[in-house]
This record gives sequence, structure tokens and C-alpha cells, in this order.
Amino acid sequence: MPSIHSLPDVLISQIAAGEVVERPASVLKELLENSLDAGATDIQVQLAEGGVRLIRVADDGGGMDREDLPLSLLRHATSKIASLEDLERVVSLGFRGEALASIASVARVSIASRRPEAAHAWKIEARDGTLAPAALAAGTVVEVGDLYYNTPARRKFLKSEATEFGHCDEVFRRIALARPGVRFQLQHNGKLIHRLAAADPERRIGDVMGEDFSAQARRVEASAGSLAIFGFAALPAHARASRDSQYCYVNGRFVRDKLLSHALREAYRDVLHGSHHPAYVLFVELDPAGVDVNVHPAKTEVRFRDARSIHQFVFHAVQRALASPLGAGQGTAAYPVPDHGADVGGAGFIRSDGPKPAPVSPWHRQEQVRLDVEQRVPAYVDFVRAAADSRPDIFEAPELAAGAPAPRATEAGGSGAPFLGYALGQLHGVYVLAQNDAGLVLVDMHAAHERILYEKLKNAADGGEPASQKMLIPALLAVSATEMALALEHGADLQRLGFEVAAAGPLELMVRAVPVLAAGARVPDLIRALLDDFRNFGASDVLSAHRNELLATVACHGAVRAHRVLSLPEMNALLREMEVTERADQCNHGRPTWTQLTMSDLDKLFLRGK
Amino acid sequence: MLLLKVPKNDILAPLQSVSGVVEKRHTLPILSNVLIEKRGETLTFLATDIELQITTHANGSEGGEDVAVTVGARKLQDILRALPDGTEVSLILDDKRMQVRGGKSRFSLQTLPAADYPRMAPAKTDASFTLSQGHFKALLGLVQYSMAQQDIRYYLNGLLLVVMGRELRAVATDGHRLAFGSTELQQDMPHSEVILPRKTVIELSRLLADSDEPLEVVLAGNQAVFRFGNIELVTKLIDGKFPDYERVIPKGHDKTITLGRVAFLQALQRAAILTSEKHRGVRVVLSAGSLKIISNNAEQEEAQDELEVPYQGDALDIGFNVGYLVDVLNNVSSDDIECHLHDSNSSALITVPGNATFRYVVMPMRI
Ligand SMILES: Nc1ncnc2c1ncn2[C@@H]1O[C@H](COP(=O)(O)OP(=O)(O)OP(=O)(O)O)[C@@H](O)[C@H]1O
Ligand SMILES: [Mg+2]
Repeated sequence: MPSIHSLPDVLISQIAAGEVVERPASVLKELLENSLDAGATDIQVQLAEGGVRLIRVADDGGGMDREDLPLSLLRHATSKIASLEDLERVVSLGFRGEALASIASVARVSIASRRPEAAHAWKIEARDGTLAPAALAAGTVVEVGDLYYNTPARRKFLKSEATEFGHCDEVFRRIALARPGVRFQLQHNGKLIHRLAAADPERRIGDVMGEDFSAQARRVEASAGSLAIFGFAALPAHARASRDSQYCYVNGRFVRDKLLSHALREAYRDVLHGSHHPAYVLFVELDPAGVDVNVHPAKTEVRFRDARSIHQFVFHAVQRALASPLGAGQGTAAYPVPDHGADVGGAGFIRSDGPKPAPVSPWHRQEQVRLDVEQRVPAYVDFVRAAADSRPDIFEAPELAAGAPAPRATEAGGSGAPFLGYALGQLHGVYVLAQNDAGLVLVDMHAAHERILYEKLKNAADGGEPASQKMLIPALLAVSATEMALALEHGADLQRLGFEVAAAGPLELMVRAVPVLAAGARVPDLIRALLDDFRNFGASDVLSAHRNELLATVACHGAVRAHRVLSLPEMNALLREMEVTERADQCNHGRPTWTQLTMSDLDKLFLRGK
Repeated sequence: MLLLKVPKNDILAPLQSVSGVVEKRHTLPILSNVLIEKRGETLTFLATDIELQITTHANGSEGGEDVAVTVGARKLQDILRALPDGTEVSLILDDKRMQVRGGKSRFSLQTLPAADYPRMAPAKTDASFTLSQGHFKALLGLVQYSMAQQDIRYYLNGLLLVVMGRELRAVATDGHRLAFGSTELQQDMPHSEVILPRKTVIELSRLLADSDEPLEVVLAGNQAVFRFGNIELVTKLIDGKFPDYERVIPKGHDKTITLGRVAFLQALQRAAILTSEKHRGVRVVLSAGSLKIISNNAEQEEAQDELEVPYQGDALDIGFNVGYLVDVLNNVSSDDIECHLHDSNSSALITVPGNATFRYVVMPMRI
């Protein structure tokens, strides 16, 4: 007997199911896509126990004939394409003709369907193929029960009911976002979770993403030839730490695409650190022939024919949107901040529902800054390089606000004080408190310093290689074999950032020079973070493509840490630096660096005036 | 019960010697107190932050039984300072309170039991030697500004003391520059090395006098003890391996220039005004007969200063953090200094002519 034999059909489907039917949410995705492909305008979903017990999708689409029902459950049976040409310009969501077959091989499936012209509906039980008349107005109802009932090994990989439901909900939102014209409803264990009326795209995005998002996000809209993009991108201060607020569609299909996410990261790069994720909903439309969706059975990966121009197109559209000032009707009125280059993520956004300080003209602020230059230079320099230098005079005597009058703070009343005012003291080693004309300013010390360092690093890098201090006692760090390989591979990148790194042993690195601006950093931590960046960015031209991310990493590590005691002159120096730094309103992680509480905000707290 | 009745300065002075260790905000409340202990006619003041403990004495106590108590160091010191000079002050202990009386002023301070006050247990003596306070203070002054601060290489946040034969060495480095000094000892000592914590070094410099009065240094396990005047300072040591300083000090640098210390210092300070605040870098440009100091900043402003030097070797252009140069010039006192250079990638060695006991090494900066 030959040892090679053909596998039985059911087993083939079960193997295929491994790729398509990963969890209840993937079943739901396939069913919803089928309903949309059938032209549904109303889709109702019922789940039980996170979708493991039951997934029921009812649509009002075109339905199937009695003869189609058995075929729909067959592997490689589809009504959607017939030839290779069709495949090359797929417009439907499904085309492989295997989803239902795969699902039916690992769950109890029944389908009831009725074409508009049919006398009544028919229902098929996938288990034995029995057909029976059924009662149904129009469209199709698919029921998937007891997922993995026959493959206990897979069942074990399912997570808690809440987790599986969460995934289903996510799939539901993804699809609902893309089809605003379709009514959707989702119930879980008999409870109504979402009811979405047919709406225009903007409404739908608001319904799904929430008020917050649509109030704050900027509209993205552009087209070039057959290429178009539409959607909303939230500003960095609204950015979320996780990826689950990123919705990107290509021709109506939700995708996770490296090229697109790279283009988006680039568009956000100056105001957002790599480890934080912006929030957006974006629809890219292009000629179906320009994109290959048949990359993976789950169809969330795509391949663009002309990757380069799509990247540029998306990048520019989003970058322009983020750079544009907040318009009327979008979020709160912009708070006038002097224009230091691109005012990405205007300050008004940060304090969206908070108090707004009295407007200050750009000219005014610029003028004030000049007055304090002489104060800034010596004090701030010491602050920045403090970790490298020992300056007992500053760090041994950190007398705080107690008793020490804020310099000029009192005379400063009226219009004499600089924009961010004069420091009053430090709060728990984290915030700097300052007094300005409008009232109280709160500064996140680390975030602000990080932003300043980042801009300096960027300026320094624009002017060639940054100043680099050689180490007399090189810093040593133990590394993994991968880290060692990365360090050696990227030696030149590191050098252009101002580092000199060499192998000191098979698993030990020696750092011989560090950029002067990062002199305050814990060098081993910083090097590890950079190596981690190198790994994530992968490519060999890391520095040219990701310079700013790398500089952001350096700045984050070089910035003064929380709980460092600062003297008043150091705090004032920090404020003056913030005033002259571009985009100082946000740190590189997209968090605000400072906020204002006006006198009237404070008065309200104490029920004064009115 | 009367502990002491003396002119205010007789209490204030010892109190000020010990109160430097008291942390302003400590999580352990008793550590903001000073321990006052009466034994016979002497009154002992003791303060600690657990790492460092300073003890001193005042005489003139009355007879009566021996007692000990702790009170807030800051408050007591502030009270004494605020009393008019020359006031006779009495410290009186009654029950749980300590009274301070001077002239017509009365203060009553709360106390905490002396038994709860942490004290460093004495360790077994390994070695001890004696030298003059002034010599040791000068030695610390030569190197202490090079100590690191809050570096994760914790052993750099202190000062290395090495005794070997008749020599006592002090070394400090923050990883970018290193200062080395040494002084002679009267007796022959076996080799040993300890790292004193930064705070200890700073307290010692503050408390030591510029005098020939003796200082006894005792190395004992993980502690060191310094006795001078009527002060005893016990410190924990930093447990770690200090870098090999001898390897770092370059030998055979081929370009040597002698410079007037003050002239060089002033030229650097002028150039520093226009250094880029980003990195405080200055270029030192050496050519036959001349040493130029050049700086510029982000606004493209530029400073140039020139010193005439008796130098005939090859030209060299090398960058430094101006702070590192200013530090050493501020902390040595000779008229001249010698600068030894090799190339723009190698360290610079700064020495004092005719004095083999001081060396300062600083790494260059690529500007
Ligand atoms: N809700 C529905 N309404 C009408 N017809 C349906 C519905 N669901 C499935 N069908 C029919 O069943 C066929 C098989 O569906 P199935 O999901 O297995 O494959 P597909 O959608 O063609 O491709 P893919 O495997 O890529 O999803 C479809 O081609 C379609 O003709
Ligand atoms: Mg399908």
C-alpha cells in the first residue's frame, strides 16, 4: 500500500479552517462579508457565549436558491469569481469559496435562504445536507453553533467568553465602519450591544468611534487619479497606546498593511513616539487591479502593485491633515499659539475641555523670551548636563520654594512675565508649577525636557553628526546574541547618532562615546532601547528612514527623570527653553507637556467672584 | 533635669557639625532628629542617615545621672541660631520634652526615645593611619569635583582611597574625566582600597580644617572611620569595583604645552560664553607658538582667544567640554599647568609642573 494518499474532504476543510477560522470572530467576519457580498442593507447579528455557542447572522441580501445551498458549503465553490481575470480585479469581499466549507467542518452550521422571487425559503443542515422548506421573508440566515465541537484541541485555545466577545465586537465595528449605508445590529447573550442606523460615513465613524474621536480628529481627504483617501486622523494628544483604534481599509476591506502603517507612522512621526499608536479611520480606494488581496486566506493582508506612490500619497494626505489648524466645528476653537514651524496638534486640543488662557500674540511671546536669555544660558546648561558633570553648587543645595521668593514673580504682574511665567516650585518631583499672567502653569518636567532635547537632537542631526563625548571609562553592558548582532550591524548608524560601540566580549558591549545631549542618560538602557528600535525597524537603512524615532528614543532616555530635585533657576531655565522650542506643547509621546489653570478657573474652585 | 548650661555657641557649633547628615525629608521620622547623650560631664551629639554617622562632643555638663534623648535637629539648630550671641543656654530634659532656655526665651521640644535611634555598629579595624587634616582636605579638593552623580555605575558616585606603602591616593571619575591625587603617609601601610560615598566626601571637606591637626583614618570592614578634633565620622563604604585608574592615565603623550593656569582659565571662561549650550564644546587649536581656543554656538556667534605658548610640535585641533577644563583649573592652585596631548581622539592629560602627585585626564569631544 502506498504511504501517500489523498486526504478526505472533511480533513482538508479542517486544515483550511485552521487558517480561516481562528476564533469566533473570524467566523463572524466571514459571515458578515458574505452578507455584504449578497447586497444586504440590514444585517442582524446574535451571539451567545462570546460566539462559541452561537453566531447567527441574518441579512436581507439576494439570498440563495435551493440548488445553491448545498454548493455554498462545498470547498472552492463560489458565485463571485469564475476566472483568473476576475481574481485579478476582485470587487467582492469573498472570492475563495472556502469560508463556509471551513466553518462547517468545525462547527454545526445551518443556512436558511430565500431569493426574492422564490415561493419560500429553504434551509440546509450542513451536517448531513438535508434540505427542508423554511419560513423566511427574504435574504439569508446563517447559524453557526458549538464552534470546534469536533476539534477539542482547538477549543482549548479559545479565551474567556469576554475576550472572544471582544474580538467579535472588534470585527463588527470594523465592518460597520466600512459600510455606513448598511444598518447593523449586534446582540450578545440576548442583550443589545450596537444598533447602527444607515448613515453618512462621518456619522457612522462618530457612532462607532465615539464622540471624543470625532470631535478631535481631523478630516483626511485627497485624491489623485484613481487613488483616493478619505477618513479621520486623531491628533497625537488623543492617540492611544494600543493599536485597536487604527482602522485602515483598502477598497472597503479592513487590512493590516505594513506599507500603510509605515506611511501613517511617518506622517505622525514628529509628534508621536514609536511606541504609541495614533487613532485613525482611513479608507483608501484604488483600482482593484492595483492591489492583490489574495495574499492570505484571512484576507487582511494586501499587496500593492505600485507600493511607492501609495505610500507617498497616504503619507502626504495624513501629514497635511495633521498639520492643518483645527477648523470651526472640529474640536474647540484653536488657541493661538505662536507659530514655531508646523504647529502640529495645536495647544487648544490639549486643553480641549479645560480652561483657556488669555490669548497672547505670537509677537508678544517672542518678545518676552528675549528678556530672559541671560538667565537661561548658564542655569539651563548646568541642568542639562548635570548628570555628566558634578556641580555640587547646584545639586547639593536644592532649597525649594520654601522661603525662596520666585524671582520677579511678584513684580511680573501685568504684561511683564514671560509666556509660561516664573517657577514657583516642584510638585512631588514630577511637575513644575509656575505663575504667569493668566494664572497657574503646570509643566510635566520630564515630558517637557524630552521634547526640548528631541528638537535639539534633531537640529544637531540636521547640521551633521552630533557632538559626541568620548568616555574615559567606557560603559559596559551585557547583551543577548541578537542585540550583539544588531549592534555590530548598525555600528555606523550608532556612530552617526553620536555613539561609539564595540564588542567587549561575545555577549558584552562597550560604549566608548555618547552624544553630548544624551549625557544624562543611563547609557546601557539607552543602547538597549536603540537596539530594540533597530530590530523593530528591521531595514538596513534604519537611520535615514527612522532617524527621528531614534532621536526620540535618545531624547526620552536623556531627559531629566521624574523625582529629580530641581532648583528654581533650573525650573525657570526649563520654562524659557520650552518657550523657544518648536512644538514644545507635546512630548514625543504625544502627551501634552504643560497646561494652564487660569485665575478664573481657580476662583471657581473656591466659589469666588462670579 | 539639666543636661547642659553653656554659652549658645558651645552647643551650636557641635550641633552644626553633625546636622549636615540629617536628611531634610526622611521617611523615618527619627532620622530628622539628633541624638543627645549625657555621660558624666560630656554631652555627645550624634546624627546619622544610616549610611553616614557623625558624632561630636561638648563639655560642661552638670553631674547627675546619665541620660540620652533625641530631638529635631533642624528645630534645635534654628532656635539656637535665633538667640542673641553670647546667651547662656540651658538644655533641660523633663519627662518626654526637652526645654531650651536662654535669656527670657523658653522652648519646649518633643523628643523621641534614644533607644530607637539607629547607630552604626563598629566593625573590626583592618588598618589605620594618621595624617594632617589640612593635607587630607587638600587631597579631597584636588579630585572630588570629578565624582559622578547619580550614575548607575554606583561605584563612580564616590571617591576611591588607596593606601599603599607610604602613599595615600585619591581618585574620582565620572566616566568622562578622572582626577588623581596623592599624598605621603608617615607610616608604611599594607595595600588597601576603599570607595567613600559622595555625601561622605562632601561632609568631610566641609568639616575638616586647613590645619596641621591630626586626622585618624580607620578602615574597618565595610566602614571607614575618620576622627579629627572632637568629631568622629563613621561611613559605610561603596561596595564595588572601581575602574582601573592607572590604565586610564595616559603615558607618553608627545605634545606638551605649559600654560599659565589663570590665563588659560580666563580664556576658557571667555570662550565658554559663546559655546553652544547644547554641548559646551570648545576647540583647542594648537600650532607652533600658539594655542587658540575657539567656540561657536547655534546662532553662529563665535569666540576666539589665543595664548602664546612655547610649542614647536605638530598642529592639533581637539574638542573638549569646556566645563571639564574649567573644573580642573579652578581646583588646582599652581601658577602653571602642563597639558599633554596626542591626537584629537585621545585623552588629554593635565599635570602640575614639578608635582608628580596630581593628574587629570579628560576625554575629548567630537564637536
Ligand atoms: N449571506 C449570503 N447570501 C447569499 N449568498 C451567500 C451568503 N453566504 C454565502 N453565500 C454564497 O455561498 C458561496 C460560498 O460562500 P463562502 O463564504 O464559502 O465563499 P466566498 O464568499 O465565495 O469566498 P471566501 O471563501 O473568500 O469567503 C458564496 O460564493 C455565495 O454565493
Ligand atoms: Mg465568503
